[in-house]
Amino acid sequence: MNGGKVTLGRTAGLYAGAAVLRLALFTLFPGLPDLLTGRVEISTPVTSFKRLQEGLFLYNHNVSPYDGGVYHQAPLLLPIFNLLPSFSTFPIFTYLLYIAVDILSADALLRIAESGEAGSSARFTSPRRDKRWSGAVVAALFLFNPFTIATCIGRSTTVFTTCAILHAVANAISGRHFHAMVALAFASYLSMYPLLLLPPLILLCYDRQKQPASGAPNAWIKFAVAMVMDVFGALAVLFQMSFFLTGSWEFLSSTYGVQLTLSDLAPNIGLWWYFFVEMFDSFRSFFLAVFWLHLSSYVGGLSVRLRQQPLVVITLLLGIFSIFKPYPSIADASLFLGMVPLYRHVFPLLRYSFVIAAIIIYATFLGPAFYHLWIYAGSGNANFFYAITLVWGLGLSLLVCDLAFAVLRDEWEVERPEMVGKEIRQI
Amino acid sequence: MSAQRPTGHGAAGDDTLSSKTQTATMTSTTAMATPFPPSTAEQPSTRKEPPPEKLCDIRRRIWVIGSFWLIVLLLGLPIWWKTTTIHRANLPLKEMLDWADGKACRPVFPLRISIQANSLQEHEAQNLLRLTQHALDDLNDFSGHHLRLQLSAPAAAQKLNDESNAALTIRLLPGEAVTATLDPYEPVLDITYPPNAAPSATSASSSLATYVAGQLRSTFAEEQAIISYLLSSNSIPTDYRPQGLTPEAVESLAKRTTRSLKYAPTYHLTFSLFTSGPLPSSWDIEAAIQDYMKPVLDLLSPIHNFTIDTQVQLYASPGVQNQALGKDDLSSFINAAEWPLSPSIGGAPTVNFIVFVGNQTIALPSQNGQDSTEGGLTTSQSWLIPQWGTVYLLSLPHDTAHVSVDALKQPLLTFTSHLLSLTGTPNSGSLPLRLSTLSRIRSADLLLRASSTLGSLARLALALKSISIPSSVADGVSKTIYHLRQACETLGEAEGLEHARIAEAEAERAFFEKSMVGQLYFPDEHKVAVYLPLLGPVAVPLVMGMLNELKAWRKRRKEAAEKGKEKKKE
Repeated sequence: MNGGKVTLGRTAGLYAGAAVLRLALFTLFPGLPDLLTGRVEISTPVTSFKRLQEGLFLYNHNVSPYDGGVYHQAPLLLPIFNLLPSFSTFPIFTYLLYIAVDILSADALLRIAESGEAGSSARFTSPRRDKRWSGAVVAALFLFNPFTIATCIGRSTTVFTTCAILHAVANAISGRHFHAMVALAFASYLSMYPLLLLPPLILLCYDRQKQPASGAPNAWIKFAVAMVMDVFGALAVLFQMSFFLTGSWEFLSSTYGVQLTLSDLAPNIGLWWYFFVEMFDSFRSFFLAVFWLHLSSYVGGLSVRLRQQPLVVITLLLGIFSIFKPYPSIADASLFLGMVPLYRHVFPLLRYSFVIAAIIIYATFLGPAFYHLWIYAGSGNANFFYAITLVWGLGLSLLVCDLAFAVLRDEWEVERPEMVGKEIRQI
Repeated sequence: MSAQRPTGHGAAGDDTLSSKTQTATMTSTTAMATPFPPSTAEQPSTRKEPPPEKLCDIRRRIWVIGSFWLIVLLLGLPIWWKTTTIHRANLPLKEMLDWADGKACRPVFPLRISIQANSLQEHEAQNLLRLTQHALDDLNDFSGHHLRLQLSAPAAAQKLNDESNAALTIRLLPGEAVTATLDPYEPVLDITYPPNAAPSATSASSSLATYVAGQLRSTFAEEQAIISYLLSSNSIPTDYRPQGLTPEAVESLAKRTTRSLKYAPTYHLTFSLFTSGPLPSSWDIEAAIQDYMKPVLDLLSPIHNFTIDTQVQLYASPGVQNQALGKDDLSSFINAAEWPLSPSIGGAPTVNFIVFVGNQTIALPSQNGQDSTEGGLTTSQSWLIPQWGTVYLLSLPHDTAHVSVDALKQPLLTFTSHLLSLTGTPNSGSLPLRLSTLSRIRSADLLLRASSTLGSLARLALALKSISIPSSVADGVSKTIYHLRQACETLGEAEGLEHARIAEAEAERAFFEKSMVGQLYFPDEHKVAVYLPLLGPVAVPLVMGMLNELKAWRKRRKEAAEKGKEKKKE
């Protein structure tokens, strides 16, 4: 074991350090939060903190928060932020909330890493599993990732989704199915797309049951149905609460409808907005469906292929979502990049790690520059920014492919031990 | 990402799959059969065949490929079908084309004319009526425009207004000589006749009857000419058309039609006072309108509604600074860039009436020249701008701060007569007759326009097979046809105009449906250009994966069959 035992004190120190860093950024650079909130890389129409405040204002004045077509986020966020002291007078409470959510996410990630699920799942044990990072290192890589910090300072509401997804995975690994499903329901309620994680998550829960499955041949069907019922039950409760809160079902079309139909074409780092700006009107609905089907088509294939390692499926899917979802931001990338260190044991099998790192750094620096050229300087056009988002997507998809390759090779070497270390090619 | 194999070995993986016992016997043969040359880096002796793919791996790969195809087939295809099929509502194309060709409706205006001959005997009057009708029929060469005479009952003679369904009433009065005068306020033609001119009950011809017929014909000559011009400029079959239009008449009618505004149920009248200096800054326009224009607007109200606004603009400089305006200057006099004259307010077309206070005059070289229509409209102070409005140059003493009602009398009267001409009212006849003629002309015009719009829509639907036709268009078409039928039946009456108006509005709405215009021209080649760049890259791995899997499956079956044969031989 490389990581060694993690003591409570060390973890607490890590969390304290992350919290202090964030608080320092919040307080020492008072202009920074607002600057980052306005960045398209961080705030999308469905996660922006500015829009949340607009919705909150309308909500506090007894107007439907969805009037005006600015707020596209889940209604239950409103009472949460309403409970906090007013943002304009005591912003520190909002900062503390975001810092706490980040640390909760990191804690879930730490539990996932400590469980060793990435290296040895119920059906597969990697020969390289000993070479891994401890939970504290994984959590630290997440907490001190500049993308995570920027998301926290930018107060994007994606952090709640991230937290819910990580807790769903952590609970599934520790065998608490119900908690896992409720957490997934929360994530889906907040941003809809995590619902696609349900199949691999059910597989993960099934593999990590406390008492091994009974011999009955159809036990897994019963299990899956129970899990699905849990998720949809929790979702139904959340929807009902939202209905009572807003007094109408309008929120469904204003939150999920916007994601489904991409009615807000504000630029972001994803691939959708430019495409649908250019799209013929008569084909718009068809290609919306194609893009959503494309996003969801990976779930089945990956779940079947990597049946032995459901956590890998979830990780790869998070990577795919961070590229192909309708309104991605660097927050989604930070979640994926936070999950990748769990696979420290297959890092030697990655082929393009340098290229990937170079592309991501390149896109990170050039993205804001090109956006500036387009919007502020006026010396570039939309193609500049779109080109750089393509590069960003290329970098992330290279990472997804390479990680999938490495994990599959790891599996394959168990089967063919004599091939370890030899060059292979796909046929 | 389904299967990886070492380099230097051929694509033999799929060849060697079968159950374990079979592969044991097969390995040597397949290894020989592999067509790939040995890799140069390795010794041929170290080259070794990859182990056979396990059955569960094959099955897993089929599942993976199947999961993608399931999504494509179960979700993708229905969505593709649902979102890209072109909705074409059924249109009654035949009927629409019939309307456009004038086969569905023959525009006939039966005009009833009642004759009041209180001083004549019943049978004498009957005979006069019969003779006049004969004379009329002989004169008439246009079947679409019928004048039907009827004798009004003497009891109703006192109340002329009861005869509301008659287009004209002829009052025959005894007098010294044969004269005819149109009553200026009622649709009444007074004809006086000397006592000896009255035909007896038996006479076969009568000069009075011929005279009455000639008077009637000249009264309605203009209306007849306009309607026949309208019909001839549309695609009405020639047999309904009158032949009697001279080229000069056609030209003057065409001029008149281009001058008048397109029909709209509501017109917006804008009265503007533009002054070249600081004075005058106010005017009594409301009172002036009330006094000089309102009566005519009230008369027009069955046909048009009017909304009115007024404005005053000081220091307004005209587009032409000349002291004396020549004929060419008139068209550029309006300073469109600086004068606040909006083209239309609230959807209704605007008629502009401009009073310009300045010292400019119009210098026409031949004010009393040969061109009578031109001279009639263009006085020394005002001119009419076709389909737009009127400008009136008003010269006032320099210190006038307020334009009084009296000063506005002449401009307003000019505006009123120009308004009539802008709305397309015929020139001749008394005002009531002109207005009733206007309503008939307008209904014929609307009817023809709606019909030709229907025809255009039908031809468009026939010509462009790929255009989508929303159900709202089909609705509009059926409404149009319904109202066209009603209008055709009640042509010449008040409802006729109303129905024709609705039909025209519906037809325009159906023709200019927004969702239709978007795909006006979208041939199939464009679809390839839309689908291929986006779906092609996705389709290649999907299709290739399925084809490979099918090939491997067929090979496995063949091998299994050969195995069976060999076993049988042994």
